[in-house]
Amino acid sequence: MVKKILIFFIYLIFFITSIIYFMPKVNLYYFLEHKLKPSSVIISMEEVEDKGLNLEIQNAKVFFKSIESAEISKINLSIFLIFNKLNAKNITLSSITKSFIPTKIDNIDVVMSVLNPLNAHIYATGEFGKAYGVYNIIDKSLKVKLTPSNIMKTKYKKTLMGLKKSENGEYEYVKNF
Amino acid sequence: MLKISSSSLISIANKLLIIFLIAKGLSLVALWYLPNDGVELNLQKNYQPLYQRVDFKNMLINQDKTSQQSTIKIQDTSMSNMILKGLYGTKTKGFIIIAMKSNSKKTSIIGIGELYQGFKLIKIKPKSAVFIKDSKKYILELKKIKKGSIITKIKPKVLKEKLTKPILISKTEIANYVANPTQMWKEISISEVKNGKKLKGFKVNSIVKNSRFATLGLKKGDIIIKANNIALKSYNDVMSIYNNISKLKILQIVLLRENKEKELIYEID
Repeated sequence: MVKKILIFFIYLIFFITSIIYFMPKVNLYYFLEHKLKPSSVIISMEEVEDKGLNLEIQNAKVFFKSIESAEISKINLSIFLIFNKLNAKNITLSSITKSFIPTKIDNIDVVMSVLNPLNAHIYATGEFGKAYGVYNIIDKSLKVKLTPSNIMKTKYKKTLMGLKKSENGEYEYVKNF
Repeated sequence: MLKISSSSLISIANKLLIIFLIAKGLSLVALWYLPNDGVELNLQKNYQPLYQRVDFKNMLINQDKTSQQSTIKIQDTSMSNMILKGLYGTKTKGFIIIAMKSNSKKTSIIGIGELYQGFKLIKIKPKSAVFIKDSKKYILELKKIKKGSIITKIKPKVLKEKLTKPILISKTEIANYVANPTQMWKEISISEVKNGKKLKGFKVNSIVKNSRFATLGLKKGDIIIKANNIALKSYNDVMSIYNNISKLKILQIVLLRENKEKELIYEID
């Protein structure tokens, strides 16, 4: 009996790996781009490469309402069905945002897993400090907790004033879409 | 020695192959439904010439009368060398037949908006054609003489333009608003105006009384449609102005007020 269950899991893992490998990841990415278009978000000038088990996107420029909003050096999209992760590195926000927030973001991770399928967890680090957020798919709500850096505390006081401060020194940002 | 023909091994291999084929088949089905191309941003370039403001009035005041006369004379001479042989059309549509006196047989057909010897044809009147050069208007007339032939008469008619008086803004003020945009949005409220799906301009919804914006000539209900000759048909057009605002010396905006176009000029010092 145990042997049969073990064999079943081996077949299942083989099936999932095959699906991931053969999945047209580039076309899936194009599908995502089309889904983002109605929200006026366009990712342009990027180099997309299927790496077998993951998708790599380099030198992407993100436009919102035709305004260049950010430049991302590298995005790594890993879809393992039970665990999905998007990693973006070296993000430079447009200079128009520099009056609100530091423009350099080192790393952003967005993680979704079957253990918590309704929430996407976001982790980010950059000149602004550290941030942890949760996006709820059902409520379409985003909650971000920010631990500000010294730059943020000194140069971007006005932005922080617009956020709710908690007792442990974190700042909270809530947005419903 | 391992028996390759072992039935259990073949069975496993067969199952793996079937799984492999199912996975490939599913990916092909997905490929059939998914788009083959991504979305790329197509920014429509604005081919309008950049806005340039030349204060001819000041230029002429600074020069002595002699030089003024000579300048006008030169322009007159070039215009007086032309013969208006015929015209056809209405005020805004049509063409004229024109030639140089030196070679009157070599005629040119010029439409409204086209250039001839540096003069731009802007209007056709029943017996004359109106040109513009260096913001001055010139009228080239058809005139019949006794024998029925046609001669031209030049009227270097310089029409005074109603120039909008520039409003002065300091660079420090602009820098402050750029550094603190929330302050700007406290003083003025603007929203986009669309014509169907296309952006038409930006409407001024409200301006706080006694604020800096209240002194800039803008009124509630104005729709800003152009800035420095760039039609504001996308946010990118707005950003092209915004990103270079610190380098600008003059900012011209065209707005719609009560369905009429109005120009506002800001001198950035």
